[in-house]
Amino acid sequence: MLSEGRRIMRNVYVVGIGITSFTRLEYPVSEIAAYPSMMALNDAGITDVDHLYVANMGSARINHQTALASAVVDSLSLTPAGAAVVENGPASGASAIKAGFAAVASGLHDVVLVSGAERMREVNNLEATDFIATLTHPLAEYIYGVTLPSHAAMFTRLYMEKYGVTERHLAMVAVKNQNNAMLNEFAHLHQPITLEGILDSPEAMTNNPYVAEPLRFFDACPVSDGGAAVILVSEDVAKTIDRPPIRLAGIGQATDTHAVHEREEPTDLLAVRRAAAKSLEMAGLTPQDVDVAELHDAFTILEIVESEEVGFFPKGEGHIALEKGQTALDGSLPINPSGGLKGKGHPVGATGVAQAHEIVTQLRGEAGDRQVNGARVGFTCNFGGFGNNVVCLTFVRED
Amino acid sequence: MAREIYAYKCRKCGHLHYPFRMVCKECRQNGFFEFDIVPLPKKGKLLTFTKVYNLPAEFEVPTLGLGIVELENGLRITGQLEVDNPKMGMAVQGEVKVVRQGAYDKYYGMVFTAA
Repeated sequence: MLSEGRRIMRNVYVVGIGITSFTRLEYPVSEIAAYPSMMALNDAGITDVDHLYVANMGSARINHQTALASAVVDSLSLTPAGAAVVENGPASGASAIKAGFAAVASGLHDVVLVSGAERMREVNNLEATDFIATLTHPLAEYIYGVTLPSHAAMFTRLYMEKYGVTERHLAMVAVKNQNNAMLNEFAHLHQPITLEGILDSPEAMTNNPYVAEPLRFFDACPVSDGGAAVILVSEDVAKTIDRPPIRLAGIGQATDTHAVHEREEPTDLLAVRRAAAKSLEMAGLTPQDVDVAELHDAFTILEIVESEEVGFFPKGEGHIALEKGQTALDGSLPINPSGGLKGKGHPVGATGVAQAHEIVTQLRGEAGDRQVNGARVGFTCNFGGFGNNVVCLTFVRED
Repeated sequence: MAREIYAYKCRKCGHLHYPFRMVCKECRQNGFFEFDIVPLPKKGKLLTFTKVYNLPAEFEVPTLGLGIVELENGLRITGQLEVDNPKMGMAVQGEVKVVRQGAYDKYYGMVFTAA
C-alpha cells in the first residue's frame, strides 16, 4: 500500500529557511513565528504561499494566545492562504514539516511555509517545567511530580547500569554541543565549558549541581524562546528558484506507550528506531549514508541513545563513538553541529523546524565555521514526549 | 477503607494493563470497558529511581524521590519514593497516599518505602 502511494507522490524541496536567535525574546509569540518566516520567504525570493503550518506547543497556556496560525498568516500579509497550528508536544516542529510535505507531495498545494515558534521564558522556570510535564501520563505520571528531567534521569540510571555510560560521557556531550554552539550565532548558550569545570574541579558540584540524579544542570537543555521556518515546494516550483536543490527525501514517524513504565525493554527507544528506519528507507538510504545529523538532545543521554537507535552505532556503543570523537564536528559523523538542543536551545515548538534549518544550511554549504565538509545527506530526529512520538527527516542535496 | 490502585485485565485474553487504556494492547479484540479491575500488588522491586530538585510549583518540598517499580505480578508502576539510599533492585513496599495537592483537589497515588 505504501509503495503504491509513493509512486504517485511528488518530490518536495526546501527552498527557503529562516531562524531567530534562540534566547529570551521580548516579542509576542506570533512575531517569533513570523520573523523567521519572513526570512525564509526572502531566502526563497517568493511573496506568496498556498498554506502555512505553525508548530507550537504552548502559546495557549503560556502566552495566552490561541489560533496562532491565523495571527501569523495575517502578520505576514499572506492571506487568504490556508493556515493551521500543529501541536504535537516537542515533536511539533517535524510534525508540521510532515504535514507540509504531505500537502505538497499530494498535489494539494505547491508552496507551503512551515514555521515553528515558542515563547517559554515569559513564565518562570517552575511553570515552564510544569508546562512540559503536562505531556506525561496525567494519572500514572503527572500527579506524582514526574517531569521530563525526572524521566530522563530514571532512563539514564538504567542506561548507566546496563551499558556502562558514565557521568563523564554525559558531560562530554554537553561540552561538545556547547562548543559547537559557540560557532552558531543563533545559539542560546555562548558559554564555553570544560570537563574540568563541570565535572572534575572542586567547584564542579557548585557549577553543575544535580537537577534529577544522576542528571546535572549541564545535562539538560536551556529553556529558550525562538522560531525557525522552512519553505517546502514542489519540483516544478523548485526549478524556478535559484537555491541549491535540497530534497526532503524521507519522513518517518512512530509512537510508543504514553506511560514510560509500560515499555517492555526500558532502555529501548523503539519509536526512535522505527521512525528513523522508516525515514531512511523512504529515502532509499542507510544510516551509514548520513553525513551530518541533528539529534534531539534535550538531555545529554538522548544524543547517545538516539545515535544508537537510528543505527549510526550499535546498541550500547554510542558513548564509545562519542569517546572516540566520531560525533565531533571533525569526526566521521558530526552530530548536532548547530549545538543541538543543549547548546542552541529548545523552544519546543520550534525545535523540529530548527533542526531542519541546520541540516539545510549544512547541505547548502552555508554553515561557516561549523560546516561539515561535503555534506550531502542530512538527518534529523525530533523526539516528542519521553520518546512516545518521534519524527525523523532525511534530506538529500541533489545536484 | 484502604485505597487501591487498579490494574485492568482484558476480558478476552487476560492481559493486565496499568494504567487504564481503552483497547487491550495485547489482543486488540476487546470492546468498550471490557476489562476487569484488579488491585495492584503493593510489593515489588525498584527498577530505577531519581531524586528531583526542580519541581512544579505545587510541590512545596526541596526534593522529591521518584521511581519505577516492578510489582510482584510483573506490572510496572511509576510512583513516589521515600527511601534514604535507594538501590536498583531493592525490595519496596507501596502505600496509596496523597501525592499531589492541587488548589481544589487531592490526588492519590502509590508511595514506596523500603520493604
